[in-house]
Amino acid sequence: MLTLALDIATTAAILFIVSAGLLIVFGVMKIINFAHGALITAGAYAALVGMRLGLPAWMAPFLAFMVGGLLGMAIESVVVRRLYRRPLDAILATWGLGIVLGQAVIVGFGREVQFVAAPVAGTIGLGGTDYSLYRLLLVAAALAIGIGFTFVLNGTRLGLSTRAVILNETLAEGLGINAVFVRFLTFGIGSGLGAAAGALITPLASVDPNMGIPWLINAFMLVMVSGSALSTLAVACLVLGGMQVVISTFVSPILGGLAIAVLAAIALRLRPEGFARA
Amino acid sequence: MTIKRSAAILGLVLATIAGNALAADPIRIGVPVGLSGANSVVAPGVVQASELAVAEINARGGVLGRPLELVVADDGSGAAGAQKAFDSLIFQKKVDVLISMETSAARNAALPIVARGKVPYIYTSFYEGRSCSPYMYVNAWVPEQQVPPIVDYFAGELKAKKYFLIGSDYAFGRGMLAFTKAYIGKTGGSVVGEEYLPMDGTDWTAIISKVKASGADALVTSTAGGAPNVTLTKQLRAAGVNLPYGNLAVDEGTAKGMGGDATGIFISASYVTGIESPANKAFLAAMQAKFGGELKTPNDLTVPQYEAIYAYKAAVEKAGSAKADDVLKALGSVAVDGPRGTIAMSAQHHAPLTMYLGQVQPDGSVKVISSFKDVTPGAQCPDLKS
Repeated sequence: MLTLALDIATTAAILFIVSAGLLIVFGVMKIINFAHGALITAGAYAALVGMRLGLPAWMAPFLAFMVGGLLGMAIESVVVRRLYRRPLDAILATWGLGIVLGQAVIVGFGREVQFVAAPVAGTIGLGGTDYSLYRLLLVAAALAIGIGFTFVLNGTRLGLSTRAVILNETLAEGLGINAVFVRFLTFGIGSGLGAAAGALITPLASVDPNMGIPWLINAFMLVMVSGSALSTLAVACLVLGGMQVVISTFVSPILGGLAIAVLAAIALRLRPEGFARA
Repeated sequence: MTIKRSAAILGLVLATIAGNALAADPIRIGVPVGLSGANSVVAPGVVQASELAVAEINARGGVLGRPLELVVADDGSGAAGAQKAFDSLIFQKKVDVLISMETSAARNAALPIVARGKVPYIYTSFYEGRSCSPYMYVNAWVPEQQVPPIVDYFAGELKAKKYFLIGSDYAFGRGMLAFTKAYIGKTGGSVVGEEYLPMDGTDWTAIISKVKASGADALVTSTAGGAPNVTLTKQLRAAGVNLPYGNLAVDEGTAKGMGGDATGIFISASYVTGIESPANKAFLAAMQAKFGGELKTPNDLTVPQYEAIYAYKAAVEKAGSAKADDVLKALGSVAVDGPRGTIAMSAQHHAPLTMYLGQVQPDGSVKVISSFKDVTPGAQCPDLKS
């Protein structure tokens, strides 16, 4: 029973880490960044490069955040900036960009699976069972990301401007807020978070050029049901991730793998606003 | 007089043509292989092994005085690509033989084309078994050969009774584990859990918790190669699972890529680089000399390719010609010495093979624990003669 609870908590944490960057971009810009999967991949390869350079493993997520952030800012200013009024084209453009990034990774590193060392290994005894220490660390990482960004949004000037742009962009611009710059920065931060997620999951995932795609699909469904707040994303991760674990444990892992996509679709059918309050 | 002279001239001309043909006309070997797509990781190694075999044979005067020529075609690792590649090799390039590894889907799609072209085909990939065609010979393993070494070792040396099986949800994964389950039953063990994840699944959390709760003494997995295999192994290790772990889908290269997490994994193969035989050492040295830094580590898919080209050479020499019918008759009866030992495709178009049980060492190399001589493939194609 405790194992099940831990499985649910850690699965939700991993989903939250992977989806947070996508949600932040979606919240501010109302576009879905389909290059998010490729940014996850890029972050994992940043961790690989960091390891080859001899950097300590705990630095990998920060290095990945910087790489992803710079990539995101470049993508925003070259491609996405022109497509805010055409969200469908933005989906196509970011999906295409994802393919280009994936191919760039293949050119640079080859198709094969790469190995990245984990910062911690082994298990820890918890109430009679032993559980993967790294998975528990990911819960802490998810909390740090959630609390950190809640603070940035609610406690800083940038956060205030961002919330103004989310609520009413025209009015915010009328008040002298530089919406273009807010978007630029938000896209960079969202991309950086995606890449950091890639680095964080490397000890549990295979590092290969297509590793981001399955994560992108789950992150997309979770963001669709969460609207634009990190708190609703956390609820969605716990509920849908929890259902995935429960179905995998008691019914079949094959059905469990479909749980998030199917349940998210059902949730949206019954309640179009998803987990958001209105 | 004129008739005699004409006949003499004609004879001379014919002799010259035939003579030239003997000296220059190459025997063409078609190699349809997945240079792009899922097989693109292993395909370059297959091409290297083919190039070495052809270069060695040509350096020693070819086959019946004719040089060998490779014709490589990309099949895109899929069924549709394979149909195009086989069609073009057989009917446009007019190859004399096809020798390659393929996915099962691609092989099944291509066999009708092979039958239409009536060309011998040597299949060099391990597979789930029971694919039969009068034109196809197989020199790689089937489940009957790969699974017993691991299960016998677990049951005998490690006294395992309760097994947990994990696989990817596709024909090869399920087929291998179905055979494994039946075989475990024969050794007196029991299967306490059997779980599958879709081929692109990466989250093994629930399955791993089940493994830990099941009280199993050994684990056997058969996932799709590459990513699923790596994620499963990493997550098992992160969760502290240290049961004896037999992996039916890992090769030496992938094991090396997984680093420390692969340590201790048991693999069963007809080829590992650590085989202590003069033939294997000579082969590895020749590969190293020919390809140097570009060398892809030889494995259970590339070495059978190398040996199959020698098997074809032996069959042509025994038949005395490269004519398809004669070669097909000879292929089942010739034996060749190669890195994997002496191999003949004599058992219903399949080959008895010496299987090696290996364990991955901390440095990523594979140490041979024991070998099982000439394991029979069993009754693969009872309807085929020989």
